[in-house]
Amino acid sequence: MHNLGFLFAANVFVWGGIIYYVYTLKQRNRALEKDLDLLKETLSKEG
Amino acid sequence: MSPDVVEEKEEESNALVWLTGFALLAAMIAIFIYVPTERKEGLIQRIMYFHVPCAWLSFFAFFVVFICSILFLWKKDREWDIYAHASAEIGVVFCSLVLITGPIWARPVWGAWWVWDARLTSTLILWIIYVSYLMLRAQSDAGSMRARYAAVLGIVGFLNIPFIHFSVLWWRTFHPQSKVITNEGIGKGMDPSMLATLGISLCAFTLLYFLLMGERVRQEKLKDEIDRLKREKLYSS
Repeated sequence: MHNLGFLFAANVFVWGGIIYYVYTLKQRNRALEKDLDLLKETLSKEG
Repeated sequence: MSPDVVEEKEEESNALVWLTGFALLAAMIAIFIYVPTERKEGLIQRIMYFHVPCAWLSFFAFFVVFICSILFLWKKDREWDIYAHASAEIGVVFCSLVLITGPIWARPVWGAWWVWDARLTSTLILWIIYVSYLMLRAQSDAGSMRARYAAVLGIVGFLNIPFIHFSVLWWRTFHPQSKVITNEGIGKGMDPSMLATLGISLCAFTLLYFLLMGERVRQEKLKDEIDRLKREKLYSS
């Protein structure tokens, strides 16, 4: 099991990095959708 | 966009999510169960099945930036600018993973985390160029000039990629030469099971790119829609 630690570390970085990026993308999209809905609501109220 | 079109797009997106998930799972099974351990380097060589696809994905992403930037400068269509920006961000993420997994692989094999050889240095330069591209895009003063400067940087940055590819042939480097594309043909320098595993991993990462692109492009379009409504609100008040 020589160098298993290095292989494990590489995996953690790759999958951790991808999962973190997907998570931030989803978070940003959710926040933008919320902003958009709020803006549309305000505009429709103002007529 | 009509509700039918939106529903169709959502179905396509869900199919891509499932396909990508399945491909990534197949890649993991191939990497950790199917493929035999390499004789010289041992277990650590399995990093190649992540390292090479990450490099491929980042180069592909920067190629998309290159093409979309040319099309943006030519057609002056914001759509191409959106694609270029989205692809650059994904390229930087995966180029960062290349620069992280490379040293982790190099440490036990070369005895050093980093050496300033042509392949490693030119990859680091590529990463710096596209990080600069994203920093330029992040400038608060929005406008077509910023998009144009970014497009020029996106095109110039890509010119580094052929240099990275051929650097291992032009100079004596620590980084090994490609075993996938050799003088004898594609995949001749590798065991068939290793080549198959790398192929599965490359396909999985390519699907992941399209999935991420879809999300990132949607984000830019949402931002544009918000800006448009804000302007509308400003003018109406």
